[in-house]
Amino acid sequence: MKGIRLLALIGAVLALGLVAGCGDDDDGGGGGGGGDQAAEGGGDTIKVGFLSDCEGAFGSFFEPTASGFNQALIDKAGAKPASKKPSEGVTGATVAGKQIQIVGYGCSDGTADKAIEETRRLVEQEGADILVGPLSGDEGIAVANYAKDHPDKTFINGIAGAQDATLKVQAPNFFRYHPDGAQWSAGLGDYAYNELGWKRAAIIGDDYSFPYTSLAGFVAEYCAIGGKITKRIWAPLGEKDYSSYISQIPDDVDGLYVGIGGSGLINFVKQYKQQRGEVDTDRMMGNVFWDDPLVLKEVGNDLVGGTTSAMTAADSDDPDVTAYIDRLRKSYGKELAGLGPSVFTYGYYTAGQALIKGLEAVNGDISDQKKLQAALAKVRLSGDEAPYGDVRLDENHQAISDVFLKRIVKDKTGDGVADVATFRRIPEVNQTFGGFFTAEAPPPDRNNPTCEKRQPPPWVGKAEEVSFGT
Amino acid sequence: MTASVGRTSWPALGVVVAAAALAPLVFTDFFVSVILTKSLWLGVAAASLIFLSAYGGMVSLAQVGIYGVAGMTFANLVVADGGAAAAWSPWIATIAAIVVAVAVGLFFGVIAARSVGIYFLMITLAFSVLVYYFFSQVTQLSGFGGVNNPDLPSLVGQPGQDPAPLYYTTLVVAVLVFLGLRYVSRAPFGLALQGLRDEPARMRALGFNVTRHRILAFTLAAFIAAVAGVLSVWYNGRIAPGSINLAQTIDILIIAVIGGLYRLEGAWVGALTYALLDNYSREWTPTVGDVLGAERFNTILGVVFLIIVLLSPGGLVGLWERVRGLGGRGPGPPGEVAREPAPAEAAK
Amino acid sequence: MATAATSAERAEPILHLRGIGRRFGGVVAVSDVDLTVRAGERRAILGPNGAGKTTLFNLISGEYPPSTGTVELFGRDVTAAPARTRARMGLSRTFQTSRLFGGLSVEDNLYLAVLGVGDGHLRLVKTGADGELRDKARAMAEDVGLGDRLDVMVSELSHGEQRQLEVGMARVAQPKLMMLDEPAAGLSRAERVTLTETLLALDPSVTLILIEHDMDVALRVAEWVTMMHDGRVIVEGTPAEIRANETVHALYLGSHG
Repeated sequence: MKGIRLLALIGAVLALGLVAGCGDDDDGGGGGGGGDQAAEGGGDTIKVGFLSDCEGAFGSFFEPTASGFNQALIDKAGAKPASKKPSEGVTGATVAGKQIQIVGYGCSDGTADKAIEETRRLVEQEGADILVGPLSGDEGIAVANYAKDHPDKTFINGIAGAQDATLKVQAPNFFRYHPDGAQWSAGLGDYAYNELGWKRAAIIGDDYSFPYTSLAGFVAEYCAIGGKITKRIWAPLGEKDYSSYISQIPDDVDGLYVGIGGSGLINFVKQYKQQRGEVDTDRMMGNVFWDDPLVLKEVGNDLVGGTTSAMTAADSDDPDVTAYIDRLRKSYGKELAGLGPSVFTYGYYTAGQALIKGLEAVNGDISDQKKLQAALAKVRLSGDEAPYGDVRLDENHQAISDVFLKRIVKDKTGDGVADVATFRRIPEVNQTFGGFFTAEAPPPDRNNPTCEKRQPPPWVGKAEEVSFGT
Repeated sequence: MTASVGRTSWPALGVVVAAAALAPLVFTDFFVSVILTKSLWLGVAAASLIFLSAYGGMVSLAQVGIYGVAGMTFANLVVADGGAAAAWSPWIATIAAIVVAVAVGLFFGVIAARSVGIYFLMITLAFSVLVYYFFSQVTQLSGFGGVNNPDLPSLVGQPGQDPAPLYYTTLVVAVLVFLGLRYVSRAPFGLALQGLRDEPARMRALGFNVTRHRILAFTLAAFIAAVAGVLSVWYNGRIAPGSINLAQTIDILIIAVIGGLYRLEGAWVGALTYALLDNYSREWTPTVGDVLGAERFNTILGVVFLIIVLLSPGGLVGLWERVRGLGGRGPGPPGEVAREPAPAEAAK
Repeated sequence: MATAATSAERAEPILHLRGIGRRFGGVVAVSDVDLTVRAGERRAILGPNGAGKTTLFNLISGEYPPSTGTVELFGRDVTAAPARTRARMGLSRTFQTSRLFGGLSVEDNLYLAVLGVGDGHLRLVKTGADGELRDKARAMAEDVGLGDRLDVMVSELSHGEQRQLEVGMARVAQPKLMMLDEPAAGLSRAERVTLTETLLALDPSVTLILIEHDMDVALRVAEWVTMMHDGRVIVEGTPAEIRANETVHALYLGSHG
């Protein structure tokens, strides 16, 4: 008796699943088998899946990333925003006469497992031909690996910065049109050693993969030209109290590179100030988090004088940049436009631009995605496609592009929040740092890369001074 | 036969397994993999929790930590991208992974077994958090961005291309776990476990070593969790610290509670419900202004969880039986002996 | 002193308490109790509530250790030994409020009681040995009047049935020393009669220590009575002597008329 009832319960749940599982076949989207791909690809609709994070540490970047990708479709594919909320999608996107359908705005939580589940849902269930995303490091490596197993689909990275996703995985159908986490640090080593005269430096970072990468970019360049790293300090992931790590920072160094992210950075700055009276920013540099709007709002005034770097420059007065911000404002309002210079919005924007260019090159025909992939590998972004600087890919489908050095300066706009002044452009930063990072080298970790003097990266000494605005 | 916490209905089990065996013929590859295979291995993990809870009265949050140890050990012992990549045979790595996780489970059990209630819950939660931080920080083991593409036994083929072999493997393992735990619950070890769930003081007075028994029950559950851990790596094709974080710990608890903490079947009922909700609520979640929308699907999951918990402490399985008007027996909290206060005075 | 005790006095002592005391924080529950019980004896422990009777039971069974003094059981010092060791030496007990396995059947409860004093607590598979244990369990269920309730969950038994099962749980392991804590509590008059008969019919080689408020049960079953008050032993004697004792009357019997 009891068994029969239980059976009926399980049956009911399964039936629910049956409706759901089979329903997708009826949409014509499901399956994921290779057989019907050609027919689909030859149709009038190109299905694109969007993947970002709406949960976890980067959950707040969901709408900004969607706004970036949508804006590319609005700019170049005649799309209109469906609403002021980017994740509601766009209408009327067409490229080369083919309709672009966004089959879903996938939501991961920063973990590789969830990113893959969402990728599978978008690709295998919703029938996406092309996936744009994901957002964060571990996710990027996982999606690149997934791409390798699915050569008949095409994947364009969102803003996941892990070096391995392109350098080691080397999936032929995975493309990244923005610099990785190590590339973002390019130029800082040169500036520290040659301009600021740091002969010895210490580094401090959160003890996980992304800080390893961004610190690796600094170490590789700084040591190559003669700098010495005398101490590497790692604070456990999720640390709230940095005081014991701050006291480990040696006094006999010329400078400190800080690779602490998000809310951890805010705590770090406050505690540093308490412990040492002030944040001696003239001997400090930080990774991409330093000019994050939230960080600036909370502790920006303490960071004034510090140096940071990334592929975007918030203060840029380049006409392409101002036009890009204006277009974002028209589509999604002031708040999201204000995040236009954020690497998150911009990474997805360039991904969208590259996708459209690739599709145009094959005239919208994705019946053979190999052709699309070949076209994508040759895509170069310039002008309004990449307002912060031209982008091209290397043989691993990894972006080569400019990186900016920026200084945190006193408030210029009158909102009480410190601002950013860009002062250097590092041209043509590539992923390998001139052959230093390779697929065979040990991945960045607590002790790697080691600090050795060697052939410096090609951009050392070639930085251009820039000055925007006032 | 004696009445106890649930009994096996062989015809019902047979029909369910037969229906499950036909699933790959009916459903899409995506559904077989992302819904069914995932439900089966999540169910095994939840079953290890439910076994401890239903028969031992111990609600453990350590199961994800233990399956993380098994998963990480497996991924490090075979050829993979990242981690130690020791290049062992996948089968030997599987056995080694289970042995290591069981040893860790035994060690955890020794520490936790003397605690009960909220203290047991907190200690076991600490174990999972400890395992998570260990693998987050020892990147030699967790790789840079996880351990990817581990070598799998040829038995399961390439789950990415054809999910059926892994599905059937997982199905067989799940059925064996279910039957095995059900059998153990009627064997001396399992009956004694239920005894110390109800009255540990009585068990001591009867000659049982209560602490040792709890440690070994925890270790047995660790074995089941370890099996789930290896299956999770086979299913995901990777494992990263994020695979075993606090959110996952809570998800397994939610699965167990949704299904019903008092019946083993609840593990798979809960896992299937969870997998369906997790996947489809993203499409079904209605948009209500800026408050609700597709990206707030977790709200739906939370509401469903809340409704089930409020309606039925016995989860879906308990709810079902209550709806049929046959509560009382079987599911629901293990029976409390009705206690009447002993008359204070001699009744002369 | 008493003629009725002579048979027991000749037998060897199987339980020997010397200067036993137990305090919980600042409260002294049992203080400086000496007690000797000989094999085959029927002993009742009487006293008003709070006299320390149940605490004394817990000290004997090993539920917790004494603060002072020593416990000698079957000729061995077990002061530091846990409850399970004493149980396996042949001591069994019941509890004042039933402590049964509510989620298990009557048969499973009795089965666990037999299993407890034997080997194979950790067996993951059933073997032939379990058949014998279950035979014993079923026979005992029959003995305590629960022969037709074998498959019933204990949480569904009536209070009277649960008290019967309590006694069955203590008897089924064939103990040498059996301690019953108010076995008649909450029973109807008819059930008390049955219980008294059951206790009188016990194997004479089994030693019995009984805490009981019901004088009809206690004084009929016991051949020697220990009277406690405020954690101390105040009088010992035969049932007849106890009935006649002034102090006992003042303290205890008197209050009930």
